[in-house]
Amino acid sequence: MAVRANEITVPRGRPGAAARVRQWLDGESVLGPVFVTPALLLLLLLVAYPFVMAVYFAMSNAFIGRPSHWVGLRNFIALWDSDIFRQTFQNAFVFTGISVAFKVVLGITLALLLNEQLWFKRMIRGAVLLPWVIPTALSTLGWWWMFNSLYSVVNWTGIAMGLMDPPGPNWLGQKYYAMAAVITVNVWRGLPFFAITILAGLVSIPRELYEAAEADGAGANARFWHVTLPLLKPVLAVVVLFSTIFTFSDFNIVYVLTRGGPITSTHLFATLSRVVGIDTGRIGEGAAISLYLFPLLVFVVWAQLRFVRKQVY
Amino acid sequence: MESFNRRRFLATTGGGLAGILATRIPPARGQQREISYLCWNNFAPNSDKKLAEIGQRFTRDTGIKLRIDHVSHMGPQQAKYAAEVQTQAGHDLVEMRMHFPWLYEPQLVDVSDVVGELEKKYGKALGSSYEGAHVNGVWRAVPQYHGMFVATYREDLFKQAGLKVPDTWEDLYVVGKELKKMGHPVGIPISQNYDSISTAGPVLWSFGGMEVDKDGKMVRINAPATAQMIEWYRKMFRDCMEPEVLSWSDASNNESIQQGKAGWIHNPVSAYIVAKQRKLVTADGINHHRSLAGPHGRHETDTPRHIGIWKFSKNVEASKEWIRYLLGKREVYDEYIMSGDAFNLPTYEKLQDHPVLRTDPKYAALRGEGVQYHTYGWPAPPSDKVQLITNTYLLPNMIAKAVTGTSTKDAMAWAETEMKKILAG
Repeated sequence: MAVRANEITVPRGRPGAAARVRQWLDGESVLGPVFVTPALLLLLLLVAYPFVMAVYFAMSNAFIGRPSHWVGLRNFIALWDSDIFRQTFQNAFVFTGISVAFKVVLGITLALLLNEQLWFKRMIRGAVLLPWVIPTALSTLGWWWMFNSLYSVVNWTGIAMGLMDPPGPNWLGQKYYAMAAVITVNVWRGLPFFAITILAGLVSIPRELYEAAEADGAGANARFWHVTLPLLKPVLAVVVLFSTIFTFSDFNIVYVLTRGGPITSTHLFATLSRVVGIDTGRIGEGAAISLYLFPLLVFVVWAQLRFVRKQVY
Repeated sequence: MESFNRRRFLATTGGGLAGILATRIPPARGQQREISYLCWNNFAPNSDKKLAEIGQRFTRDTGIKLRIDHVSHMGPQQAKYAAEVQTQAGHDLVEMRMHFPWLYEPQLVDVSDVVGELEKKYGKALGSSYEGAHVNGVWRAVPQYHGMFVATYREDLFKQAGLKVPDTWEDLYVVGKELKKMGHPVGIPISQNYDSISTAGPVLWSFGGMEVDKDGKMVRINAPATAQMIEWYRKMFRDCMEPEVLSWSDASNNESIQQGKAGWIHNPVSAYIVAKQRKLVTADGINHHRSLAGPHGRHETDTPRHIGIWKFSKNVEASKEWIRYLLGKREVYDEYIMSGDAFNLPTYEKLQDHPVLRTDPKYAALRGEGVQYHTYGWPAPPSDKVQLITNTYLLPNMIAKAVTGTSTKDAMAWAETEMKKILAG
């Protein structure tokens, strides 16, 4: 129905106070901050406050339930005197480096497989996510049972298949085997994240590029190296970035499987930090351990994100 | 029935509120005292059931409402305690182990009055409980019970092979060699767990060694006594044990003897209790003997437990009432101890020959024991530094290094450096 012009009432004179407030609130300069404030408050409360507290603790001699004093970088410097900490530092790099490398290679392989025309494709894709869906502590308990020295399923299977000599490796009692065990569980746990994210990247690659490459005579290998991999780079960079951070800060797997043993050969920053900060009450030192790699990780994040930005076409 | 309309509701509640405000006395419900108690999941599960039952009776008898919460002792317990202390909120009472009263000293109420009453009735608290809960001249927690580390062995196998029950660590080496040949090795963990320390401590003390001196100031681990102890472990590992002990958890030695593998382990009686409760075939063959001696005598360790009251509790007196009810009434304390089937033993001198030890002839080894027991880190006084030495498993790690190829000298030097760093920190 059409509205005639003379039916519209036009307000005369200055608008009322309520209308003026409404008008003021509608302005972008006011409305914007109003909408952003709750999110900002949440960030401050849940992210910034704990982080600032952690930094403060790391630079103090805080002890559970006692007054603390500022000690600057003393905790960070003193840590380096400890053989256990230096071993932990080394473990963290070995654990993260090997785990992420395996996850990249296996993740790409799995994603390529999942991208093929498979029977029960959806079911298989769903099943691949299982290790990621089960709570880590629970699934790691299963692995602990499989690696257990008294009734290792892994050894039993290996011996039954003739792959191992009885009694088989002492998985959690020898340092290299123990590291292999925690890396295996980490790769198993993190693989779905890689595979599904890379699969999302693969799906987004236009089919025409493959058809053009095929028309130019490119084989499967050449198509992978010259089409798939370059176009996956941004996705890979993000996945590797996330995984590196998560793997460096891993706690559950080591805590359940080895508690950092044997002889501290699998301790990571998080597990050692727990022992010192919580079990012993030395929060300052514990916080310093957990924040030790923070500057390095900030640099890694910065470099990776810079790389990703450059890759955007 | 008369309807209860809005006007009547307002009149009733308004009048009631005015009455309360006028008398300045809170209503009865507001006066009801309520306390909460956080304790660990006991290794003897019947003990937790009994505790709940006693708690209900306490509420009925005193009108004080009691909530009992349980937490697993390995891991979550310490995180929970730390969180409660940092936030100054949580339970009123907490069950404590090892050196916890030392760690949380400024946060714990002085309970010397309650301990005084208990000691008057039951005799002095045992040495290990005193070491753990008597902090700088003040009782910061009330000794509750303790569990002794004794030798648990397969008596049937010993009889079958004609082996003599060992009395010293050297005797154990002799029988251990035979046991290993029979396919039933000795099961002493050498890994990052507390059972490892519970054996390594007494062995070290029996050889005349210590980690830190009794003043808590000097590291004494790099000493000839430690070298002797390491040599003993080295030959035990080589001739009497399996390499699996390097990855064992606190439960592994129990499981090993229950499953019929280990022939001898060093542990409280929980391995036998569980085997008996689960009717395992090994239960009948298991027996106990007292912990072993070395060239410098017999030194033993145990796991004392205490009950502490947080200073931030608003119900300190009600909390003390609960402790008095549970531990101070002989019949209730007995009932509680009996439910633990000799895993939880009374920690006061006059109660050492407790009836629970006569419920099964296999508890005979525990009679009269406990008096000379010590907590981890002895003879150093407990402190956060000694606790860190314990928690970073320096003692078992030193031994693990030595039995896996590091020279005794290097292993001791490594432990000394780490301990010195902790004491200096």
